[in-house]
Amino acid sequence: MNAPTQIVVENVNHLYRPPRGREVLALDQVSLQVANREFIALLGPSGCGKSTLLYKIGGFLPVEAGSITVDGKKVVGPGPDRGIVFQHFALFPWKTVRGNVLYGLERQGMPRPEREARAQKFIEMVGLHGFEDSYPSQLSGGMRQRTAIARTLAFDPKILLMDEPFGALDAQTRGLMQRELLAIWQRQPMTVIFVTHDVQEAVYLADRVAVMSARPGRIKTIVDTKFDKNDADIFKNKFFVERVDEIWNLVKDEALKAQGKKG
Amino acid sequence: MSDVQPIPDGVPERAARIAVHVFWGVARVFSVVALLVAWELLARSGTLTPYQLPAFTSVLARVWSDVTGGDFFINTGLTLYRALAGFAICTVLGVVIGMAMARNRIANWFFDPIVSIGFPMPKIAFLPVVILWLGVYDVSKITIIVIDAIFPVIAATVIGIQGVERELIWSARNMGANNRELLWQIVLPAALPQILTGLQVSLPLCLIVAVVAEMLMGGYGLGGAMITASRFANSVGVFAGIVEIALVGYVLVKGMAILRRRLLIWHQEAHDPSTA
Amino acid sequence: MKALIRYSPLLLIAIAWELSSRLGLVSQLALPPLSDVIRAWFDMLKDGELITNGMASIYRVFAGLALAIAVGIVLGVAMAWWRPVNVLVAPLVEIFYPLPKSALIPVTVIWLGFGDGSKILLIFLGCMLPVTIGAFNGARSSEQVIVWSARSMGASRLRVLWDVVLPSAMPELLNGIRTALALSFILLVSSELIVAQKGFGHLIGSLGANGTYDAMYAVVLTVAFLGFIADRIYLVITKRALAWREQAS
Repeated sequence: MNAPTQIVVENVNHLYRPPRGREVLALDQVSLQVANREFIALLGPSGCGKSTLLYKIGGFLPVEAGSITVDGKKVVGPGPDRGIVFQHFALFPWKTVRGNVLYGLERQGMPRPEREARAQKFIEMVGLHGFEDSYPSQLSGGMRQRTAIARTLAFDPKILLMDEPFGALDAQTRGLMQRELLAIWQRQPMTVIFVTHDVQEAVYLADRVAVMSARPGRIKTIVDTKFDKNDADIFKNKFFVERVDEIWNLVKDEALKAQGKKG
Repeated sequence: MSDVQPIPDGVPERAARIAVHVFWGVARVFSVVALLVAWELLARSGTLTPYQLPAFTSVLARVWSDVTGGDFFINTGLTLYRALAGFAICTVLGVVIGMAMARNRIANWFFDPIVSIGFPMPKIAFLPVVILWLGVYDVSKITIIVIDAIFPVIAATVIGIQGVERELIWSARNMGANNRELLWQIVLPAALPQILTGLQVSLPLCLIVAVVAEMLMGGYGLGGAMITASRFANSVGVFAGIVEIALVGYVLVKGMAILRRRLLIWHQEAHDPSTA
Repeated sequence: MKALIRYSPLLLIAIAWELSSRLGLVSQLALPPLSDVIRAWFDMLKDGELITNGMASIYRVFAGLALAIAVGIVLGVAMAWWRPVNVLVAPLVEIFYPLPKSALIPVTVIWLGFGDGSKILLIFLGCMLPVTIGAFNGARSSEQVIVWSARSMGASRLRVLWDVVLPSAMPELLNGIRTALALSFILLVSSELIVAQKGFGHLIGSLGANGTYDAMYAVVLTVAFLGFIADRIYLVITKRALAWREQAS
């Protein structure tokens, strides 16, 4: 890996304090380095803290123990340099598709003609031409997620954080979206941290897959998954199958552990 | 509990469907019309005195004369003025208090017991106290209206603001919104459906309290006119008053519903999503 | 302890009341000190005025509510279960729903005079609506698949009504009754303030006319708190009935 390191996560803990009941250690001494323009997946069973880690990098949850730096600067809060896409889209339901995509640009103070042109460009890039004036409630799940992605990409974040973005979609739409996301990233490489529990999705999309243990979450192993993803028959590709097997074996035990410990 | 309407053999399907529509349309109005007819017949039959049950036609005539004579508009205007003034105050004050309670711990600590205890109280009982403090003019009427009708607005605002999805707020902060922008551009629009529901409960309440306050204090206004009619044993006037108040109430409720639909176009459009 | 902190603002208000009145910050006439109000309350309790009027009021609420609940449930469930009933009654419900029930006060007086009858009729008419709507919505909400399961296990239509529809209807119905409870107090006080010879509302009015404001405050607070306590007791009772329902935390 010759690309410069962009994100450094060092010894981060997260203590989850529920309103009732005892504290739970969600993340345990997690350390990770992400290179510039790298696509890395955070993979693990439910409850392993992968989303929590993502939120900390995004600045939505405070870093109380350990440190997270981006380009050498400590993360202290959310900001447009780290764009986030959520599983349930988090679109502003009272704004149209265009309104949603424009929001980040308005906050940046971009002049009107510029931001309208830019918004239009990204709406078309995700294939939503003709739906600019529709409300989220009129769109299907896949279209809503595309709006969310357009919205985040539009304000040009250096880093893209994705929290199981295709988890709420049906299987066919999910497959399509994965291919589209990869295409977008290959055209305009940027740093992506992608949280998922789907092994095949992680191997398909990412350059590296960080496998996390069941709670308390630790980085168990990092597997290299960089190979030519443009194979038409990717699911039968030798590298693909081997990596999926390898990672699945790593995750299997953790998944069982996670099931055993209920809440 | 499903209903299947059998379509008679040999009748064109379209005609049958229209017939079914017409049938149910008539059926819906049927009971209202039947009630009015029964009322008229009962009144004329002599079983009850005209005092106890004036004929529907005489009541209608009285309403008509009120409208043409202008009395209806004077009284309605006055009652509406009080009710709507109270409603306006409820809206602004209620949303402000609700916002404060949802976002500030001290405000919540102070107002929560007041709201929680005050909500189920018959606050109309405080009307004599309000009269004692503020006299017998519009001020006291509007005050008791606010005391009564502000609670649903506060409760709805608190629920609405607390119910805003965390991911909406995070997305907005992600895109660079500061606290002020967050409140006005994200939190309030997101809470709007719930707040409007509270307002929809509050508006009819404002009308009810206005009418009751007028009945107690007399004078002009729909409630005052009714009490005057009652004191003069003018039962036609009393019945006419009910019809007039019902009309005003209906218009207000319908108006609010239309306003809600306009403001929440994005919310109501919960169509079945087309497959992309 | 937690309850103390939660309700402490009320304690502060009580203290502020006593002090501002005693210290003359507000007119002692318009706002008699809280201690005077409390003393007047006990006096009225002793000489029976509070009890006599209170009993009349409570009787009216009970009678009116009981009738409203009985009729409302039958009507609401019938509307949900039999389409013809729905077609007949629903338009009437739609018409009477936006009518401010307090507009009926003078009519009930025309029909039944100044006594108990008019108040009970008013409460009955006014409170029947929320109960009917609650029963209707509740009965309609019973899931089709549960009904079908019961039928396939041999339950007759009527049996299903009793075993499945009514329990499913409980949450909405109990909510409707709660609304009716609050409404009954409002209608009671309103009508007694305007046209009555007995009862809390009447007592408040006559005390106010006499200028014995401390006693007036006492009765106002009494009936206000009675409404609050009735609601709380209702919640406690119904919580048990709804124990099977998952509580959203």
